[in-house]
Amino acid sequence: MPYFGSEEMVKELKRALSNPHVQSDRLRYKNYITKVIRYMTQGLDVSSLFMDMVKASATVDIVQKKLVYLYMCTYASDKPDLALLAINTLRKDCADPNPMVRGLALRNMCNFRMPGMTEYIEQPIVAALRDKASYVRRVAVLGCAKMHSLQPNTEIDGRIVNELYALLRDPDPVVVVNCLRALEEILKDEGGVVINKPIAHHLLNRMKELDSWAQSEVLNFLLRYHPRSDDELFDILSLLDSFLQSSHAHVVVSTLRLFLHLASAHRAVQADALLRTSAPLLATCSAVSRELRFAGLCHVQQVMRSQPGLFATHYKRFFCGYSEPSYIKFRKMEILVELVNDENVSLVLEELRSYCTDVSPELAQAAIAAIGRIARTYSEKCLDILTGLLALKQDHITSAVIQTFRDLVWFCPQSTAAVCQTVEAGVDRPQDSEGKQALLWLLGAHGDQMGSAPYVMEGYIDGLKTELSSTVKMELLTATVKMFLCRPAETQDMLGRLLHYCIEEESDVCVRDRALLYYRLLQRGAEETRRVVTGPKSDPSMSVLTGRQEEPISEWASTFNTLGPLAGRDSCPQTDAISAADQPSYSAGEELLPGSEDVTLSGPGDTEEEISLSLGAPLSHESFEKMWLDLEILHRQALGVSRPRTAPDTLQASLQLEKIQTLAFTPADTVPWKAYIYTRSTGTLILAELLQGATDESLVLSVKQQPVNQHAIRRFVSVLKSVLQTLNLE
Amino acid sequence: MIHSLFLINTSGDLFLEKHWKSVISRSVCDYFFEAREKAVEPDNVPPVIPTPHHYLITIYREKIFFVSVIQTEVPPLFVIEFLHRVAETFQDYFGECSETTIKDNVVIVYELLEEMLDNGFPLATESNILKELIRPPTILRSMVNTITGSSNVGETLPTGQLSSIPWRRAGVKYTNNEAYFDVVEEIDAILDKSGTTVFAEIQGVIDACVKLSGMPDLTLSFMNPRLLDDVSFHPCVRYKRWESERVISFIPPDGNFQLMSYHISAQNLVAIPIYVKQNISFFETGSSGRLDITVGPKQTMGKTVECLVVTIHMPKVVLSANLNATQGTYNYDPVTKILLWDIGKLNPQKLPNLKGSLSLLSGAPKPEENPSLNIDLKIQQLAISGLKVNRLDMYGEKYKPFKGVKYVTKAGKFQVRT
Repeated sequence: MPYFGSEEMVKELKRALSNPHVQSDRLRYKNYITKVIRYMTQGLDVSSLFMDMVKASATVDIVQKKLVYLYMCTYASDKPDLALLAINTLRKDCADPNPMVRGLALRNMCNFRMPGMTEYIEQPIVAALRDKASYVRRVAVLGCAKMHSLQPNTEIDGRIVNELYALLRDPDPVVVVNCLRALEEILKDEGGVVINKPIAHHLLNRMKELDSWAQSEVLNFLLRYHPRSDDELFDILSLLDSFLQSSHAHVVVSTLRLFLHLASAHRAVQADALLRTSAPLLATCSAVSRELRFAGLCHVQQVMRSQPGLFATHYKRFFCGYSEPSYIKFRKMEILVELVNDENVSLVLEELRSYCTDVSPELAQAAIAAIGRIARTYSEKCLDILTGLLALKQDHITSAVIQTFRDLVWFCPQSTAAVCQTVEAGVDRPQDSEGKQALLWLLGAHGDQMGSAPYVMEGYIDGLKTELSSTVKMELLTATVKMFLCRPAETQDMLGRLLHYCIEEESDVCVRDRALLYYRLLQRGAEETRRVVTGPKSDPSMSVLTGRQEEPISEWASTFNTLGPLAGRDSCPQTDAISAADQPSYSAGEELLPGSEDVTLSGPGDTEEEISLSLGAPLSHESFEKMWLDLEILHRQALGVSRPRTAPDTLQASLQLEKIQTLAFTPADTVPWKAYIYTRSTGTLILAELLQGATDESLVLSVKQQPVNQHAIRRFVSVLKSVLQTLNLE
Repeated sequence: MIHSLFLINTSGDLFLEKHWKSVISRSVCDYFFEAREKAVEPDNVPPVIPTPHHYLITIYREKIFFVSVIQTEVPPLFVIEFLHRVAETFQDYFGECSETTIKDNVVIVYELLEEMLDNGFPLATESNILKELIRPPTILRSMVNTITGSSNVGETLPTGQLSSIPWRRAGVKYTNNEAYFDVVEEIDAILDKSGTTVFAEIQGVIDACVKLSGMPDLTLSFMNPRLLDDVSFHPCVRYKRWESERVISFIPPDGNFQLMSYHISAQNLVAIPIYVKQNISFFETGSSGRLDITVGPKQTMGKTVECLVVTIHMPKVVLSANLNATQGTYNYDPVTKILLWDIGKLNPQKLPNLKGSLSLLSGAPKPEENPSLNIDLKIQQLAISGLKVNRLDMYGEKYKPFKGVKYVTKAGKFQVRT
């Protein structure tokens, strides 16, 4: 109960409503009814007044009627027996000469959500479907759907369904759309309303008469229709053409979705539609309403997945205003990162630089991360900015910069030297655990390039007792062991102290286990430890030669104009990449796996027929390059298949399934197209290059191997061929 | 589509709910309150909140959250635009859309919501059709109603819905036939420290008030239609004629409506009407700062800049401001940290200047970011893009209408960085 003493209030109202003096004074009576409604809307339980309210429904005053109906709709399901009393009045109103009263009564009668209503409302609804006032027909059509929802499990009344299909030809546009809506609900279990050719063309021809909401809905219904021929398709598209420029953003977006769907086989039409809607979409991005702006940005983001160039010249429209809400700023930053090119990079960076000092720490961190993403292509400029930010000596900024450094080193090995120099030159210690972990990872992975690294680490080891986060402790363990492997003399003592503390005094089991693992590993010797602990220093699955892929439109067209992208449920590729960057922090345990797999596979693999491929430990770009240059080509052949037309990701994934790792490939549309792949088998390493001279030409495979094993090569070629053939079939 | 609607004020009170299908418990709003708490500022509440069984789509307007509950997949823009339409309708009916007016007119609010949606689907949303179904409250009418006891519900059905042109009712009659058009342009711009334009665009609309008898067919043409490349029209405009001849030909709805809206974003076309010379600095020691702002006209095409207001969101450490304005009044609110300088008319002979010192919280570090300036202004009788209406012709009716065009330029999101 939100109000104290509400029972008193209800009693008082009851007394007043049943007072004959009040009942005879229409104004006072109505005022009391209004009061009841007001309490009801505030969440007060006034259901005990039901009887008195039913009495009040017998009046000529429409407003009073409306109020009583509203009351009854709210409480009818609680008091079904009493509500039946009101039905008589309502049925009488359904025959009123004023269409407004008829519609009102019918609508409210349908809104009573209580069992057993159907027998009372069926007859008035069927009669009202033929009413001469369109207002009543509109209500009746939706009433059919409501009636069905009262008894969801009964059989569908074929008579009503037919009637509704017939009403699709009604002269009133709202009746037409309501028919669609009602049929959709009634036929939900059967897959919704069926849009066949006559219905589709009928709807298309009447599009202009509909209001914008109806247009948008009809466009969604039309997604179900598949034109028989190209001629028909283009007829439909030209009818819809003008809706791409509608003044309502939701109509534009729905039209665009229908275009993308219908023209899925015509790339040029899709591209043209995207180009034409880019202006309205951009306009939505700067609408007055911030929610519309947000929705516009989300849609732009989706379009950019296939056509990154479309908005490149408008990058300034994605600069954040000072007073914009943070959810808009986040999206704008994500878009800005995608729009960076050689011409605008300095302006965009300058802009992002100014967001880094935002009052909100989350925004500042997002801006820093955005600069980090740009740094993968334009390292130098970004590193200058990031280094400059460190001078501000703000905790959250420092922490974010160091995390960005870590991700950058992981994705973009060529910036390692510069990052190490900056970190070495003096970085404040970040205070939050995320930042600490990032710094420790950097120290551990690239300690050999930083003279002062052991001393920074020592500071952490000395402060171990006050450290609360167990993930930081684990990271510290891994980093110290890695450091020990490259600079044993300086690290030995502190590693000893660290292991001693973690094994003897640490209460967290995970940390203690990790310490014990390292302790035993070290007992087996430095070489063994190195094999397990030192993972790759950069992302092995990444392809340096490619920028961001242009995805085919079909990838996102199905979720376009739906709630998913706005609610952040659709998994965007960036988050995947970042989680990959977190991986090395926990690598110690997992990296045991590939090694041991190697051991088991190399045993029985000697027999000729059972040669199998394995992934083994990932190969870094540098070592691949070195080996490729050192080795001779052992085998070259034309595979007789052309490059699969699938997305590069699919190719990479399917090769990986067959234990062939992809190192790098050129963007999809470059000529000649190249890909570098490698795999392991029975103790040999196979490196290979796939080359396609011109489009649709057969792929040429060149293989290098160390040590030589012709059986393995034969096996490799046959596996590769079958993968490519399967992909081409799809 | 839209299952339920909840109205919630900034302090978190749920003051109105409406269900178009079965009743959904208020507890669904807990997800909203959770997001609201996380967002700190009411502005920052995300518009789409996923919950296990529903989606909540929220708009925040005039200090009220309109929270709609969605159960099936819908186009998000559709719902957002619809909620804005609801808010606009309230504004249209009650003069303003605030918690007090909604509570005062709760009966009409329910009537409106009932007509606007049925079973969760939009039904009647055009203002002129709604106004025939439910008459808006006026002082005179509520007085008449009190005396006679009559209601403000239309006795007859709106006829407009039955004519072949859905946006216009048949048989309109006026004694004075008049058509007015307002060209309203808003400049959205970001200027950087040195005064160069980082970003600028014009958002323009043409609002019309047409009170003409019968079925008039109007044609509006511009002196320079080439200016407009990104336009969208009211459904009444014949798009084909615009494409081929660049004239706007239409049968107007009755009363007030928005004829078209357009954007001009080519940088060289957007004139910036004023310049701002500013110097805001905080000293390393002594916990104080200086502020010196001068505003002057730049490209105003000889018109006067009016209603000039400069708003600055000061950093949190600024305690008070001791300033001197040569024109207008200034006011610093130490709670919201907003410095508001209301200048009024801009006199090109004597430029307004605001100068003085700021005192900061002692001991606090100096703010690393200078606040940016938000500018509000208005220029009468000028469309800053240079758009000009050439002529308005009427066909189909015999009488001579009275015609008028008005131009206004305003600042939209106009921001100067320091």
